[in-house]
Amino acid sequence: MATETDRRWTNVAAVRSRASRWFSDIQEHPFFWILPAALFLGVFLLYPLVEAFRMSVTNMTLLDPTDYSYVWLDTYVRIFESPDFWGMTRVTLIFVTASVVLQLVGGMILAQAIDYGVNRGLHGSIFTRISVLSAWVIPGIVIGIVWKIMLIETRYGVINYIILQLGGDVVSFLSDGQMALLSTIVANTWRGTAFSMIMLYAGLQQVPDQLKDAARIDGASPWQRFRHVTLPLLKPVLFINIVLITIYTINTFDMILALTGGGPGRATEVLALYMYFEAFERFNLGTAGAIAVVMLVVNVFMTMIYIKYLLGEDEF
Amino acid sequence: MSTGHGSRFDLNRYDLATYLVYLLAVAFFIFPIFWVLSMSLRPEGDVLTYPVQFIPDEITLAAYEQVYGPATTWLWNSTKIAVLEAIGILLVCVPAAYAFSRFEFRGRRHVLFGILLFQMISPVVIVIPMYSVMNTLGLFDTHFGLILLYIGLQVPFSTWLLKSYFDTIPDQLDDAAAIDGCSRLQTLWHVILPSMLPGIAVVIIFNFVFSWSEFVMAFTVLQSSDLFTISVGVFAFQGQYSTSWTLIAAVSILAILPLIVMFVALQRYFIRGLTEGAVKG
Repeated sequence: MATETDRRWTNVAAVRSRASRWFSDIQEHPFFWILPAALFLGVFLLYPLVEAFRMSVTNMTLLDPTDYSYVWLDTYVRIFESPDFWGMTRVTLIFVTASVVLQLVGGMILAQAIDYGVNRGLHGSIFTRISVLSAWVIPGIVIGIVWKIMLIETRYGVINYIILQLGGDVVSFLSDGQMALLSTIVANTWRGTAFSMIMLYAGLQQVPDQLKDAARIDGASPWQRFRHVTLPLLKPVLFINIVLITIYTINTFDMILALTGGGPGRATEVLALYMYFEAFERFNLGTAGAIAVVMLVVNVFMTMIYIKYLLGEDEF
Repeated sequence: MSTGHGSRFDLNRYDLATYLVYLLAVAFFIFPIFWVLSMSLRPEGDVLTYPVQFIPDEITLAAYEQVYGPATTWLWNSTKIAVLEAIGILLVCVPAAYAFSRFEFRGRRHVLFGILLFQMISPVVIVIPMYSVMNTLGLFDTHFGLILLYIGLQVPFSTWLLKSYFDTIPDQLDDAAAIDGCSRLQTLWHVILPSMLPGIAVVIIFNFVFSWSEFVMAFTVLQSSDLFTISVGVFAFQGQYSTSWTLIAAVSILAILPLIVMFVALQRYFIRGLTEGAVKG
């Protein structure tokens, strides 16, 4: 009896030591360390991407997603021939270009002002920075609602009230097509300026003080110092900043959905909204898939520029 | 720009220009939040007063009492999802980031390059196929599914950021621990992780804010209103009570408040993550 127990114990010990050896062996293989992340990446990013491509070459609908046939490039031919698609592309281009320019200029002015203010020990530098960043931490959907409240189109709406006090007329901020597009641009600038401000401020800290001092001693005006010393040194950060905010803005969805819902008509329907409505309101999964692929191509193209630039800078 | 010369009253024109920028910026960025707060604190009838009251004559919490029920459910859902997502992301990404930092293996650079590419792809682009993926996996309309999905979306960003923090810890520490007989896992747990806690804090905070704010996926995956996150809840609420501005304002303030408090308290980490996440990739 005793010997049998002993044998069982030696077996357990053997198994345990084999298990622990196996465990320390697998620790030497990077594969096992990466496995969980790879699984998540595969299921929730790679697979949906492949699925988007597959959808885009079918005539799948949401009403019966199992009943479809492959139409290959017909979906793409159809969207590239549809005036809707080009209309939404135009709206997206205006929205993105205006937002990027405004965020960049606003971010640069704020970064410069705060850099100067901190160096001079002026009051309110930190408070200003926190104020700008507060807008950035608010969820996009709430930003849309906040601006909807600001832009109420009667004399009780606060912006319209201020305009009235200044002697103007009530403005149809959200029910006039062009004004609505402008409103989304303003709301998006409100949201995104903080990001540019922080990146450019970090960039400004890299500019050596000696260079600016030397330029000052040589009699350069502040504008000349900015134009000929700061700006050239800021170029890499500026470039990365432009690429990143362009990518973020192209994919804007929640803020516009809450603010205008793409309206009035389709005046503020950017590509992301167009894609979403195509799938969940008009049930055309094929077309929605194709728009997703077009957006993906734009995203990847912008990212390649970004990565190429980063790789040029240093090894990773 | 040297400091210390000139007294408080000796402001040059650049100082004045800077103050002007500060004033305009604070007005533009704070006023909308202030205005929504002011809306949320007045009785419903006082929305339509003329002239407009910037600070309401009568301050009341009536609107908050009315939205309290659904709002607390949504806030709780968001908190739960955000916390579990942050824990999950560490479990998944710390090992991966460790491997990318400490192992040399074939294709390492290509995989890292691929991850960076994934990082830049917006969730909006894959929301349509995700709808069918979640249905196939039986995860539709569940918190569990949404948490897994969020972890998947955040793997690239978190792995990159964690890897850059691992890279700042010298290899000699690993070697010393190995000589003392530590396995890789023990080294990671007892030696490396304790010295990169600030980096881990940045990753946690960014994941928390991401899950809290994310809209398009939650909007698509969650159907039952008692499962809504705060973003989806606020949107559904304003659709339902389209003209009850005090209520909409109150629920919006409840959605914003936790984030602003967290942000003001942890500003340092936010700014670190913002610049490091973008510049280092």
